[in-house]
Amino acid sequence: MKKLVGIAIGIFVVSTAFFSFDDDAPAFSFNSDSKVQDVLVALGEVAPDHYLKELDSNWVQKGYELTHLGRTTHPDGGKSAYISAIFVCTDCHNQVQEDPILVNPQPEARLAYAVEHDLPFLQATTFWGMVDREGWYNDDYIQKYGDLVIPASKSLYESTQLCAQECSSGRKLEAWEWTAFQHYYQSIGLTLEDLNLTDKEMTLLERGARSNEEVKGELVKMLKSKYLLASPADFIDPPSNHAEGFTEIEGDAGNGKIIYERSCQTCHRYGGPSQLVLDDSPLTFKKFVRRMDSYNDPFNLYEIVRYGTHAEPGHRQYMPLYTADRLSNQQLEDLRSYIEQPH
Amino acid sequence: MKKSLLTSLFVFIGLMGISQEEQIVQTFKDTRIVNGHSVETNFKGEMKFIISHRFGTVNGGAYELFGLDQASMRMGLDYGISDKLNVGFGRSTFEKTLDGFAKYRLLRQTENNSMPLSVTLLSTIAVNGLKWADPDRENFFSSRLFYTHQVLISRKFHHRFSLQIMPTVVHRNLVPNESVPHDVYALGGAFRFQLSKQVALQGESYLLDTNTLGQGFYAPISIGFDVETKGHVFQFHFSNSRGMIEKFFITETKGSWGNGDIHFGFNITRDFRIRGPK
Repeated sequence: MKKLVGIAIGIFVVSTAFFSFDDDAPAFSFNSDSKVQDVLVALGEVAPDHYLKELDSNWVQKGYELTHLGRTTHPDGGKSAYISAIFVCTDCHNQVQEDPILVNPQPEARLAYAVEHDLPFLQATTFWGMVDREGWYNDDYIQKYGDLVIPASKSLYESTQLCAQECSSGRKLEAWEWTAFQHYYQSIGLTLEDLNLTDKEMTLLERGARSNEEVKGELVKMLKSKYLLASPADFIDPPSNHAEGFTEIEGDAGNGKIIYERSCQTCHRYGGPSQLVLDDSPLTFKKFVRRMDSYNDPFNLYEIVRYGTHAEPGHRQYMPLYTADRLSNQQLEDLRSYIEQPH
Repeated sequence: MKKSLLTSLFVFIGLMGISQEEQIVQTFKDTRIVNGHSVETNFKGEMKFIISHRFGTVNGGAYELFGLDQASMRMGLDYGISDKLNVGFGRSTFEKTLDGFAKYRLLRQTENNSMPLSVTLLSTIAVNGLKWADPDRENFFSSRLFYTHQVLISRKFHHRFSLQIMPTVVHRNLVPNESVPHDVYALGGAFRFQLSKQVALQGESYLLDTNTLGQGFYAPISIGFDVETKGHVFQFHFSNSRGMIEKFFITETKGSWGNGDIHFGFNITRDFRIRGPK
């Protein structure tokens, strides 16, 4: 009830914008390509530290190369040092939209979207719209990275540094590299079109931008309700009995095959970041089937998915875990069904 | 003649192009089989550190702890300049030998059999580091040098089974006497049988006319297990050869399986990424 009253008040306040906008206010024109960040700043939001009003295509390109290749051309010339000897950002992060419904990201819907758009199904959230979030390394990531998460959860700069050093088993970014990431992130920020605004909402936005602070505040709220400000991250445990698995869930081997190909084989391919190749040979599946009822075992399917592995001195490769938000228990059982079916 | 050469060249280049598609990978799990090289190469920027040990013969009995009292070793580093071109060097305690190699992956078997084989070229050089047997006579550095050239040709027949043949020539700059040839030709053969995801049975041998080498030389026969763990490959094997580089195990094998002259040995390989992600 309270929520409904709140929405009604919001609509009322925003609607008054039609009658109360200030003709003398500086003009700001929106269109569907306008970046959400720019619109929010125009509506009076305090720009976050990572915000850039103007993009430089050279820096965007450098950021793109750092993300996809791990290095780029150094501003002083020559190739820069790799951020990580093992991983590049795209091993764990997509770079385009991956959830069909931005406000309600669900792993099942994400997998269907991945199939439709030929995307990998990965552990970490997409860089697309990263600049629009207000929190990173959310929820249970503190269990994994401890106090390192505290600054990272509030700052895109800090979270990028944490990812470069810890998650990618790499090094601290130099100032110029952060600038490149900043430009690249901003270039793939959300646009108004991505928010699927109705015509009425667009009109309210255009008029409201020249309205009073109260109206602008409501428009900011309206915009921010169209996407998630922080991606959920819920760490969950494997089933208590590995052999039995999640008994209430029936796995779908067909779906499991899709997960195996778009998830496992993204990294565990020949020439990929992992030295363990998970191919389609019966020996590979047999290895997991044999260890399905084992515990404290990196080859146990449930444990490797839910706990991942950790980087060790001399062996910095590791596997990041899948949170419940990135791979559901249903999908885990689907994967098990595929692995256990005759090959 | 020119036309047929050109045609051959285009066919060859065409085949190389085809081999880029749907390639068969992991014909062998490592760049070595037992002593010799497999068709596999390191990825660009990947460095492989290999520690190999060979012990005395197991027929030495308990007094020699079945050969373990007489260890010889080789430490080596291999590096991937590109995914196809590898170089490496190593030092064997056996005859204080320094060796180096260059290896180029020429062709790779494809899924659709448009290229039925994988082919890798290998050239090695070895330098004997022992003091001159007779320092008073005129000795030449070139007398210390040995060369081996191989064409490694393999096919993965099944996810469990691969075969490799290795036409080989070993050139010795210095031989004991005029009756012993400088060039020794041999045809090697090797196999891999994958027992499980991480364990394979592997073996290799060479056909050659040992009579031309002199008295008491045998063809090398080696067999062992290859155990793959994260970042490491452990290879445990038995061989009638004690040397770990081509010039030793192809042309200087003095042990006989029939006499029990079998050397236990192992290789431990460790991969390092030193030039960024693959």
